[in-house]
Amino acid sequence: MVTKNDHIASVNGNSIVDDTFDPVDLTKLAAWWRSGGALGNVVKEKDWENAPTHLNTINSSGKFQFVSRDMLSVRYTGLQLHGNDVGAVQANLPAPTNRVIYYFEMTVKNAGAKGNVAIGFTPTGFKTYRQPGWEPNSCGYHGDDGFLYNGKSSGEKFGPTFTFNDTVGAGINYAMQEFFFTKNGELVGKPIPKEIKGDLFPTVAVHSQNEEVTVNFGNLPFLFNIEAFESEKKKKQEAVIDETPVPGNLSSWIVRSYLLHYGYEDTLNSFETESQSTLPSSNISQESNINDPEETFELHHRMILRKLIREGDIDSAFKRLHEWYPHLLKNEMSTMSFLLHSQKFIEYIRGGMSEDAVKYARMKLVSFFAIKFFETLLQDCISLLAYEDPSTSCVGYLLDTHQRDIVADGVNVMILSGSPNLKSSKGNVCCTLLEKLLKQLTACYIEGRSLNGQQGEVFNLHDILHDTYRIGN
Amino acid sequence: MASSKKIITRPDWEKLLDNVHVMKEDMNKLVMNFFVTEGYVDAAEKFRMESDIDLSTIMDRMAVKQAVQSGNMVDAIEKVNDLNPLILETNPHLYFHLQQQKLIELIREGKIAEALDFAQDELAARGQENQCLLEELEQTVALMAFEDAANCPVKQLMDMSQRQKTASEVNAAILTSQSHEKDPMLPSLLKKLIWVQNKLGEQASYPKIIDLSSAKLEETK
Repeated sequence: MVTKNDHIASVNGNSIVDDTFDPVDLTKLAAWWRSGGALGNVVKEKDWENAPTHLNTINSSGKFQFVSRDMLSVRYTGLQLHGNDVGAVQANLPAPTNRVIYYFEMTVKNAGAKGNVAIGFTPTGFKTYRQPGWEPNSCGYHGDDGFLYNGKSSGEKFGPTFTFNDTVGAGINYAMQEFFFTKNGELVGKPIPKEIKGDLFPTVAVHSQNEEVTVNFGNLPFLFNIEAFESEKKKKQEAVIDETPVPGNLSSWIVRSYLLHYGYEDTLNSFETESQSTLPSSNISQESNINDPEETFELHHRMILRKLIREGDIDSAFKRLHEWYPHLLKNEMSTMSFLLHSQKFIEYIRGGMSEDAVKYARMKLVSFFAIKFFETLLQDCISLLAYEDPSTSCVGYLLDTHQRDIVADGVNVMILSGSPNLKSSKGNVCCTLLEKLLKQLTACYIEGRSLNGQQGEVFNLHDILHDTYRIGN
Repeated sequence: MASSKKIITRPDWEKLLDNVHVMKEDMNKLVMNFFVTEGYVDAAEKFRMESDIDLSTIMDRMAVKQAVQSGNMVDAIEKVNDLNPLILETNPHLYFHLQQQKLIELIREGKIAEALDFAQDELAARGQENQCLLEELEQTVALMAFEDAANCPVKQLMDMSQRQKTASEVNAAILTSQSHEKDPMLPSLLKKLIWVQNKLGEQASYPKIIDLSSAKLEETK
């Protein structure tokens, strides 16, 4: 991966300037900056998968069944001469895998001559003239015998038979990797281990003359209380997780370390005052002093600089930096310099002072174009000039207070990097304890889901914190 | 039993970690939630100002706090309802304390007749609904029996500290309503971390974090 410093070396030609160790995490900066456009919405991964909505009229063999115009019913039109003239129909899309459970239902409108109806799941390319479950990698619950067929033409005793006016349901539990079935709102049989990998299509089938079934992919309420089923499982799991013991003052410790890192001095003082008796920080700090010394480094100055930047007073910020940390300003091409200069430019725009903005850009920003990494970020900035009302433009996010926060964080990290207690690894400066723990949490879920065949609920911290519910199906 | 666990080396795991982006906004929310649910009202306020300038809500809360601190209870109650009518609806104790303060102020101003009417019309009903409030009500009403309320057995109610108590209570309630949170999120996430690490550990060998207070990655076993 090409880094910013590679470009400095090639541009200057000579040896790299002293302080090119640039602790402002560039990939993180880029992610924050670019996501600034729609902070809450865009960064949240688009994990709304498409779910089945109707029956597939294209891939069914067409010879043995007739799908209704609304694509939610199918009627058998064959002659039922043998086992290869089943009228099975798949849904238009495979069952989505980004959730704990997927479920759908089927109602028998006409049991026809023999009631050979079935419900289940089949893979891509399934031979739709066969019953679900009769072929490998498919699973089906059949109404005539109440048997479960799981990949071969002989099945096993499973549940009750079902016929005219019965509503049966089929579901996949991705957390347990199981199939389950219901009849008229109640679970039947036992969960069947799902060993089939890959896409699975909800499937219904008819086989004897005049049989007809309708299907429900969630457009109507289900007979089976799937929400209660799912929430009961969730609650059980949450109860187990809740039992996990966590060291008592860990939360306070984490919060304290967070405040120290970012320089939220006022908050920290309030917090320490309010929690005087209840914060025996001595316990935890004895085991892990590594965090404490480096984070208290220059706390007061960092707090002041953050305040100035949050107020948009970049000039004062520069003044203080000159006063307190002149060495940090030596490298005029550092990320911190870029952040400060670009923010000053943005403040000119905010104040409607386009002429001053242009002058400043010519003086200070132009040189950053030499560094490829900053190119797109710079372009966004400069394009603010093009709009009469920049705040409503696509680069309007730069005028948000969030942008000032990014700059404040950059300056903060630069100062922290000068701490004498700093371990050589960059990770220590850029990442708070809280962030490290949250990353580990997310990574574990990601890996767990990957080992589960990329199936199951996607862990989304942002959603959890904002209480976003995804309604099943 | 031979272990068929997937082995993830430390560099590979660190790569996975690098690709996870945690938003500062979310972390700020967690810290804020910690302060609000643990009752660190002042810290919550300071954090709001230091991390997320949402000037409008801060000003509103300041206005309510000031109204209470200057004894202007009618104004305070009106402002709270303007901010969010649900606050008083869902906080009967808070509502009672605000009205109790109003009663105290009426007594302080010597408006005994008005105080009596108010106590009978408004507070009596509230006290009856709630046993523990009844005692507080009785103490407050007792103030009226004394000529020199400032030196009677329940004189602490006349103190400025009583106003401060009420002011803090209303401030906390507003903060909570604005954060829409009552459940502590941080401990719950920490528990999830421990649980999910163990669960993953059954299927894979990877660098775990054993010491949460340092977030140090152990080497893959």
